[in-house]
Amino acid sequence: MNDEQTRGRFESLLLPLLSDAYDLARWLMKNPDDAEDMVQESYLRAFRFFGSFHEGANCRSWFLRIVRNTCYTALGSRNMKEKEVPLDSEADEVEDPAPLPPANLSKKATVEAVREAIASLPVDFREVVVLRELEGLSYKEISEVTAVPLGTVMSRLARARHQLYLIFADRKQHDQL
Amino acid sequence: MNCEEFQNYIDAYIDNELEIAATILVQHHLRDCARCQRLLETRNAVRAFLSNPEIRFEVPDALFGKIQSALPAVNSHAKPPSIPWFPISWFSVPFALAATVAVMFGLVFLNRDAIFDHARGNNILAQEVISNHVRSLLAAHLLDVPSTDQHTVKPWFNGKLKFSPPVQDFADHGFRLIGGRLDYINGQEVAAVVYQRNRHVINMFVWPSEPAHITPVETFTKDGYNVFHWNRAGFEYWAVSDVNTEDLKTFTALQMQQS
Repeated sequence: MNDEQTRGRFESLLLPLLSDAYDLARWLMKNPDDAEDMVQESYLRAFRFFGSFHEGANCRSWFLRIVRNTCYTALGSRNMKEKEVPLDSEADEVEDPAPLPPANLSKKATVEAVREAIASLPVDFREVVVLRELEGLSYKEISEVTAVPLGTVMSRLARARHQLYLIFADRKQHDQL
Repeated sequence: MNCEEFQNYIDAYIDNELEIAATILVQHHLRDCARCQRLLETRNAVRAFLSNPEIRFEVPDALFGKIQSALPAVNSHAKPPSIPWFPISWFSVPFALAATVAVMFGLVFLNRDAIFDHARGNNILAQEVISNHVRSLLAAHLLDVPSTDQHTVKPWFNGKLKFSPPVQDFADHGFRLIGGRLDYINGQEVAAVVYQRNRHVINMFVWPSEPAHITPVETFTKDGYNVFHWNRAGFEYWAVSDVNTEDLKTFTALQMQQS
């Protein structure tokens, strides 16, 4: 394959992933400028490593893993990476939870409130929620992107959703949702 | 299954990641346990909040171009085609410009009605496309041939229509083929190729057009639905969905690469 074909194949496989890549970077970096830089950097890295991408492999999880690692490297080097906050395992015990109100998605305030809630999660939980709920990845793909076992993906997702529930319920109580 | 086990399985259950045997156990437990039913409700409520497509961040417009120009340039081995160079005399330029302007005005004048008719026609078609999309979701008649396999869906159309629509799965990119359906648009039978993006359905309507008729993507937005329309390789395409514009753009780009 000559350079031109490689470049063509790279573009046709990876440029359609731009919106997923940006969304992930935006959630990990928590600001738009850093997210743009990370996405550009990720595309350059992916182009360099494109030889190691095998035909038929899942290019979405291959590329999102690069995006995720690029973001983590930047967060780490700036000493910004948040420490994983282990949730008290008791927090998983759900005692007769009061049902949440039906989601009113038309309200602008709700979008901001939901974004704030996701942003407040520790990064390890935030990334599984974003990959699953916003980008629609399967557990297997999430496990490939984040390099953690399937069981850990599942338990992080459970804890993240439970924590989101607590935030939403609290906001509802204070009439902020 | 007890409540503790149920709690371990509930997320895989709502994400359709459980095996069938475990799914049955979960459903059994749910039927008898009010407490776990409420837990399921709260999970679903959380997911309902997260399912709003506006929560995702939209890609800044300029980023696509920035990336393309940041990628290393191609070292093509082939020489660029040499362009024959003709000396242009200084006085011919204004004449040529004047002629061009005259021709442009003439064309616009002559074709103005045709252009307006075309725009009006496509607006009506876009409306029809949205109606068919909505009807397909309401009437529980989304799929005549439910299948995620393009080698099942495509032959199915061959037996029903006079043409063979392009059918391609893009599950790798998050646009899963879920099947096909016959539909009726603009007074003719058309193919509806149906995709799923997260929990959103995309209907792509396809019918034959002039092979030489290639148009840029035309977009319409109405009542929260996005409609993208283009002509390629002998087919007219109308893609409609309530996914965000960015996703439908990606979907359209994928389809265009195939044709």
